[in-house]
Amino acid sequence: MANSYNSRIAKIIEIIPQSEIIKLFRLKFTGLFASKLSFKPGQIIILSIPGIGEAPFAPCNPPDSKYLELCIRKVGRVTEKIHSLKVGDKVGIRGPYGNGWPIEKNQELRIKNQKGKKNLLIVVGGLGLIPLRTLIWGKDKFLGKDAGIQLFYGAKTPNEFLFINDFEKWRERGIDVCLTIDKECPGWDDCVGVVTTLFDKKECIKDAHAFLCGPPIMYKFVMEKLKEPNHCFDDKDIFMSLERRMHCGIGVCQHCAIGPKYTCKDGPVFSYEKLKIIEGAI
Amino acid sequence: MKYEQLPDFIKFLQKTYKIFAPQQKEDKIFIDELNNINKLILGNQLPEYSFKRFFVPECEKLFDYKNKKLLEEKRGNGEKTALLGLNILDLKAVLLYDLVFIDDYYYQQRRKNILIIAHDVVPEDKNNLSKMKFSGEILDNFPYDIFLTKDQSQKLKYEESKDYKIVAGSPQGKEILNKFGYGNYLDKSMRTITKPSPNEMVQKIKEVMLSNKHPEIWEELGKKCIECGKCTLVCPTCFCFRIDDQPSLEPTVGQRTRCWDSCFYQEFSEISGGFKFLKTTAQRIHYWYMHKFGRIPEEYGMTGCVGCHRCAQVCPAGIDIEEIIKKLTRQVTEVTPIPETISVKKTSQ
Repeated sequence: MANSYNSRIAKIIEIIPQSEIIKLFRLKFTGLFASKLSFKPGQIIILSIPGIGEAPFAPCNPPDSKYLELCIRKVGRVTEKIHSLKVGDKVGIRGPYGNGWPIEKNQELRIKNQKGKKNLLIVVGGLGLIPLRTLIWGKDKFLGKDAGIQLFYGAKTPNEFLFINDFEKWRERGIDVCLTIDKECPGWDDCVGVVTTLFDKKECIKDAHAFLCGPPIMYKFVMEKLKEPNHCFDDKDIFMSLERRMHCGIGVCQHCAIGPKYTCKDGPVFSYEKLKIIEGAI
Repeated sequence: MKYEQLPDFIKFLQKTYKIFAPQQKEDKIFIDELNNINKLILGNQLPEYSFKRFFVPECEKLFDYKNKKLLEEKRGNGEKTALLGLNILDLKAVLLYDLVFIDDYYYQQRRKNILIIAHDVVPEDKNNLSKMKFSGEILDNFPYDIFLTKDQSQKLKYEESKDYKIVAGSPQGKEILNKFGYGNYLDKSMRTITKPSPNEMVQKIKEVMLSNKHPEIWEELGKKCIECGKCTLVCPTCFCFRIDDQPSLEPTVGQRTRCWDSCFYQEFSEISGGFKFLKTTAQRIHYWYMHKFGRIPEEYGMTGCVGCHRCAQVCPAGIDIEEIIKKLTRQVTEVTPIPETISVKKTSQ
C-alpha cells in the first residue's frame, strides 16, 4: 500500500520575485524516474519542508510546462522557510488533491447539448489569481478557442498585482484583463475601488460562468454583484475556490470540512449551488 | 467454549500476542495489558477510555527526517496485539475506523496486527444511548476475529451450550481457534464487511444537521461549553489529527508526527495570516456535532456516535449528548427519540 503522506522531492530551479513578500518558485522533480506533476487547474498540492512542516498551495504554471510553479506569500512558518531557500534547494511535494475548476464538464456539456456557458468571468482578489493562472494560460485547451475570458482582478496597491508580465500576453490572446486597486495611488490611472467596483465600470461578459477566488470576505460581495438584475448569474454557473486549514489533504483529518464536504477532497472548488445551503461556507 | 477453557485460550494467545483487556482498578475499569486473568472483566460496565488508541493512537510517527529529507522506514512485521473484550459499541467504532482509514498506510500496518476478540454483553442503559442490541446482523457486519457470545435468544446454528458460543469472524480468527484445538465454532470467516447503508433514523438526523434548521441549539451550547476538549479525547469516534514536525536536540533531525487534535481548539481552523473559520464556541461545538451526525453519515452510512455517553460523563460543563440528540430528533419524529445507530446493509435474503 502506498504511503499517501510521503512526498516527491522537487528542486527549486528558479525564483521570480513578485512583490516584497511574494515569490514565484519554479520547481522540477528530481530522481531517475522523475516526471512532471500533472494537475488540473484549481487543484492543490501539499508542500513539505521536513523540520518545518507542510502547507497547501495551488500550482499555477501554464499547462504543459516542464516545471511546476508555486506562487507563495511569506506569511507563516512554512512560507517563511521557503522564502529563505535558494535555487538548487529541495522541497517535498505531495498531491495533487481535490477537484479543480469544472472545465472539462463545461466543454462536454457544450459539445453535447450546448447547455454549458461559452465564456468565463473570473473574479479574484489578492492571491486569488494564483489558482486561475494555469486556466487562463490554457484557455484554448480548457475552454476552447471561441471562448472569451474576462478577468476582474483587485489588489490593495499596484505593487501587489501578481504575474504582471503575463497581462500583456493574455491581452494579446483576447483576454479582457480588468484591474482595480483599493485606494488612489500616485501613477495609477486605472480603476480604483475593491474588486466589485469593476462590475459598475466595465461591461460584463455575457453567456459566462463565473469563477471566484479571493480572501474570505470577498465572496459575499461578489455574489451580490453577480446576482444584480443586469448580470444575473445562475447559482449553478458560479464556482468558487475556498481556503481552509489542511493537514492530511485526503479528507481524513477533519480540519478543512465545510458542512458535509471537505475542501481538500471535494473542493477546493465548489459550485455555489451546493455551497449556498451550507452554513458558514462563505 | 466452557468458561474454564478461557484461561487456557488466553495463555495460548499470549504465545503470539500481547493481550489488552478491560480490568478492574480500584472502582473503575481500564483497558490494560492482561497479566492476571482474574482481573479480566467482560461485563456491562464500560472502561473509562475506549479501545480507540489501539487503532488511532494519540500520537504516532509518520517519518523520521534528517537533513530536510523524510526517511521511509522499512516497517517490520510489528508487535501482534490481541484486544479482548470489545463490546458491540466498540465494534461500531472499529467499523468506522476501518472505513475512514481504508487507504491509510500506517493504520493498515497496525490493523493487520490486531486481533479482535469481542463479546456480546450489552452495556448498561446509561452507556448505550441508542439501545443497540446484540444481533445476528452484528455478527455479519461488524469487524471482529472472534466473538464470544452467551446470548441464548440468538438461534445460532450450533450446539446449545451454557457457556460461550464462539464465532470465527475472519480467517485469522478461525486459524487461531483451530490451532488452539477448538472446533465447535460458528464459521463466519468468509464474510465480507461492507459499508453500511444508512437507515431511516440516521438519514433523518443527518438531514436535520445539514439543513441547520435550529441554530439556537448551538448558540445555547456555545454559552455552556468551555472548550476543554475532554469529549474529543474520550469519544471513540473523534479521530481527527494534526501533522507536525518535531525537532530533536540533534540539529536537522526530528520526526513528523500525527497526533490527535480537537475541533474545540482555537488553532483548529486557523489559516496563515490568523484568520479563523470557526470563530465562536457555538460554531466549534456545531462542527463537532456536524462531524458525528452530518459528515460521517454522509460518507460512511452510519452515525458517528456509538452511544457510549462518555462525552457527557467527562464534560465539566454538564453538556449531555443524549439531551441534544433528543432535541434534534424530536424535531423529526416524536416516536423515536434516539436514533438507531446500527445500520446494516440488507443483503438479499
